[in-house]
Amino acid sequence: MQETIPFTTHIPPAAPAGDGGATVDVKKLVVENSIIVVGKRGCCMCHVVKRLLLGLGVNPTVFEVDEPEEGHVAEQLSSLVDDGGEVQFPAVFVGGKLFGGLERVMATHISGELVPILKDAGALWL
Amino acid sequence: MNSSSTQFVTSGGMGMYDHMHQLSMWGESFKSNGSPHPLSSMLLPNTSPSLIITADMKLDNQSEDTSGTPGPLNKYDQEVTKSSEKIQRRLAQNREAARKSRLRKKGLYVASGVEASHVGFNGAVNSGIATFEAEYGHWLEEQQKHVSDLRAAVTSNISDGEMRVLVEASLNHYYELFRMKGAAAKADVFYVMSGLWKSSAERFFLWIGGFRPSELIKILRPKIEPLAEPQLQGICNLGQLCQQAEDALSQGMDRLQQTLAQSVADGQLGEASYSPQIDTAMEKLDGVVRFVRQADHLRKAALVQVSQILTPRQAARGLLVLGEYFERLRALSQVWATNTREPE
Repeated sequence: MQETIPFTTHIPPAAPAGDGGATVDVKKLVVENSIIVVGKRGCCMCHVVKRLLLGLGVNPTVFEVDEPEEGHVAEQLSSLVDDGGEVQFPAVFVGGKLFGGLERVMATHISGELVPILKDAGALWL
Repeated sequence: MNSSSTQFVTSGGMGMYDHMHQLSMWGESFKSNGSPHPLSSMLLPNTSPSLIITADMKLDNQSEDTSGTPGPLNKYDQEVTKSSEKIQRRLAQNREAARKSRLRKKGLYVASGVEASHVGFNGAVNSGIATFEAEYGHWLEEQQKHVSDLRAAVTSNISDGEMRVLVEASLNHYYELFRMKGAAAKADVFYVMSGLWKSSAERFFLWIGGFRPSELIKILRPKIEPLAEPQLQGICNLGQLCQQAEDALSQGMDRLQQTLAQSVADGQLGEASYSPQIDTAMEKLDGVVRFVRQADHLRKAALVQVSQILTPRQAARGLLVLGEYFERLRALSQVWATNTREPE
């Protein structure tokens, strides 16, 4: 059972890539969280996704990627996607699967489909 | 960079070069050399084409006199660029004048910032914007037809199927405008963000380069009642969903504006136009383009939902209300602009 977190969970910045051993395992984060937003640090689009989700009562985990890590993280995330396609930031994962970017989030929100999807994944509680 | 710069100036989608050049010229304008600057006449919103020519020519003379002009162009490239620019400008102005006279005859033309808006500070024509403005003129003419068709349809007895065809046509016309705006945003995002192609009254209601979906839904709803319960619920719910999406986008936009303002304050757009910081500023401007795209995407999604929630007849009525609403705003702008009031 997932514990309720009162505030958005921010993952501390990854250590500079050197040995790679100290970097946060983003794949693990995706699998462990019902909803996670992965975006570039300071990205305003990521901020939009965050605000929208917060407004709905969701407490998304947010992983902000520093520029040097971008390529590495993108690669890792691609490996999680079935067709191995390129993952663009910001990327939203729901229930361990790639949901999409801001556009998809907006579209499903407007069509009324987003809230049920979030509830199904356990990211939103009534 | 030099060899391809001539190409850059005359094409529409040049992005970075155009910004750099315009910005470096802007920076130059602040280093006053004492002579009266012709820029002031460039900034008048209703400058007629002939006045633009005068201002352009003055600018050309001035920049020819200036030595050590900043920016990536060398002197030779500037000459070649300027003459082809002049030709392009004349042709564009001729097309503009012809288009406007056609629109005036139909009572469609509203004086706005249109004349001077696609001519930059340095006199270079932003062909992406010039294209957009020409296309928008046609779009307005087409829009008038769609609204007339809808008006005739809602008072008639045509079938739902036929009604749906009209609704789809009208919707697709809006989607076409979003596509046009997307291209224009790449040419000059500030132009799109400021809604410069719109009449002044329309611009009053501007939200991220266009209309605010939740606002339109609020206007629409009472005009298409009575509605069955599920549809009333659907429309009200849609209004709320739009409001939430708009709020999120607005907050993101505010943040972007802050970081952009910071870039300007940090002097990243100054005389050193080769500064690597220009890249960061350009990246942020790309961010603004993405916001415009997301906002238009939201508008389109809202229109799609409206057409899905309502019956074809209700949707036609709704689109008619929308079309007439914008027509009234444009008419209001024209009346206001031409109204001479007695001093009180």
